[in-house]
Parts: sequence; C-alpha cells; structure tokens
Amino acid sequence: MQQGGGVDTEVTWEDQQNINKFGRLNNRFHELEDEIKAKKEMTENLEDASNELILADEEIVRFQLGEVFSHMPKDDVENRLELLKEETTKELEKLEEEKESVLSQMAALKRILYGKFNDSINLEED
Amino acid sequence: MTSSASASASISAAEKRGIPAALFVEDVQTFLNSTASDATSALTALQERLQHYKLAEMKLLAQQRDLQAKIPDIKKCLEIVEALQTKEHTGEATTVDFELAEGIYTQARIEATNSVCLWLGANVMLEYPFDEAIDLLKKNLENANSSLGAIVEDLQFLRDQVTITQVTIARVYNWDVHQRRKQRQPGTDV
Repeated sequence: MQQGGGVDTEVTWEDQQNINKFGRLNNRFHELEDEIKAKKEMTENLEDASNELILADEEIVRFQLGEVFSHMPKDDVENRLELLKEETTKELEKLEEEKESVLSQMAALKRILYGKFNDSINLEED
Repeated sequence: MTSSASASASISAAEKRGIPAALFVEDVQTFLNSTASDATSALTALQERLQHYKLAEMKLLAQQRDLQAKIPDIKKCLEIVEALQTKEHTGEATTVDFELAEGIYTQARIEATNSVCLWLGANVMLEYPFDEAIDLLKKNLENANSSLGAIVEDLQFLRDQVTITQVTIARVYNWDVHQRRKQRQPGTDV
C-alpha cells in the first residue's frame, strides 16, 4: 500500500445533507437538554411551594402573578399550583420524548456516516 | 480521476434573507479548475466566507435571545389581565404586594374595574377594556412567536451553510495535501 490517507472519499450532496442534518439534530439535542433542565427545576420549585403551602397556616397566601404578589385564599393557590404542576409535567414528558427521537435519529445518521467515511469524520462530542 | 459529468458545484439553496448560500462542491479538482484558483486562495476565500457566517450567526442569536426574553413577559401580562378580569365579575377588590423600589414592597388595593392600561412603548400608554387588552396581548404573543420561529429557521439554514463551508475547507485542504504528496513522487501510480 502506498503511504496511507490523503485519498479523499468523495462527498456527495446526499452525504452533505446527512452531515447537515446531524449538525442540526446535535444543536437541537443541546437545546432540549437545557429546556429539560429548566422544566425539572420548575417542577421541583412547584413541589416545594406545595409543601410550604401545606405547612402554612395563614388563610391568605401571596401568589406571584406577573410582577406582583396577589393576595389569594389558600385553596385558590393550591388549585393554581396543581394546574401548573400538571402543565409542567406534560411539557417535560413531551421534551423527553423529543429528546429520545433526536438521539435515535442521530445514532442512525452516525451509522451511515461512519459507514461511508470511517476515520475521515468525527461525530463525537469533544 | 476525472469527475463525473454534471455541474462542478451546485448551489444548495437560493440566498435566504441576506445570507448567501454556501457552494457545495461535487469534486474538488473541477471546482478549482472552474474558479481558476489554487488551493491556498480557495482556502482563504472559504475562511472569509466562514467568518461572515459566524458574524451573521451572532446577530441572529442576539435577536433570538431578545425575543425569548420578551415572550415570558407577554405571557405574564396576559395572566394578570385575565386574573383581573375574573375579579371584574365578582366585583371584589384585589389586594397585591408590589415592588415600590428595589427590595421594598408595599400593599395596594385594586378596585374592580373594567379596563387596564397597556404600555405600548415610546412613552405611550393606552387604556383598554379587558377584552381588547387581552386581544392585543395575544396578538403580540403570536407575532413574537412567529418572529422567533423565523429566526430559528434562519439560524438552522445558517448553521447548514457553516457546516457545508467547513466540509469544503477540509476537502480542499486534503486535496491539496494529496496533490503535494503526488508531486513529491512523480513516478508513483495512484
């Protein structure tokens, strides 16, 4: 064999599109991770708030609406918290699902691209 | 090592909102012949292109961050107006604690009313009945969301162009290395 490397495997338009798609998926993956982290924090905060609420013995609780804290009866606040918790859990589920789908698409693309380019391409996180 | 027919380079997509599309190179040899340039100058031109893309990307990212900050604000406003609206029907007053100055809060009593004032920017504030206020805020939210969508699309397009340019740079460089190696051994068959 002659001196190794230096021979470039031709990159077709399809390959380029696969590489682009992988790049997009990778970006989306990182965005999703951040969003999931934020949602998890939100869920924790809501849990803490609920717990505090149970311990509190005041009838009027200050609930944040926008920039102000509105005086609300304890029951209303409980209901609102429950609603928020449900919403956040649903959104969290959706995000996790999307993350799974993105990961599997990325795995499939990795197989294709490594198959064609082998060592000439690096698809790992640095 | 003749290239396969067709074009030596194909445009990936028409120019999008001021962002030039990156040239996709089918075959490096033909590409360099058609532009009558050598590897080094091609590399420099491509690097310059890459810089332009990076600049455009930063601008778009800044716009995206602004919008992402605005959207939760609009949602909060919507929430409060809707809360006030429900009180309108019961006729009760709303007691709130609000920030008077940094770290200083005080109580306020908001009597049941049927309108709110909305800040429109440029030192202008208008009074709106609840329904109109909610409509206006919802429209603003929609606009913000669609602008955000457009920016996200542009960013994706831009990132694709960056990837294509980076791949092209790598291929031109490899081709150049390959050429130099060949020249050093004139008798070797590929």
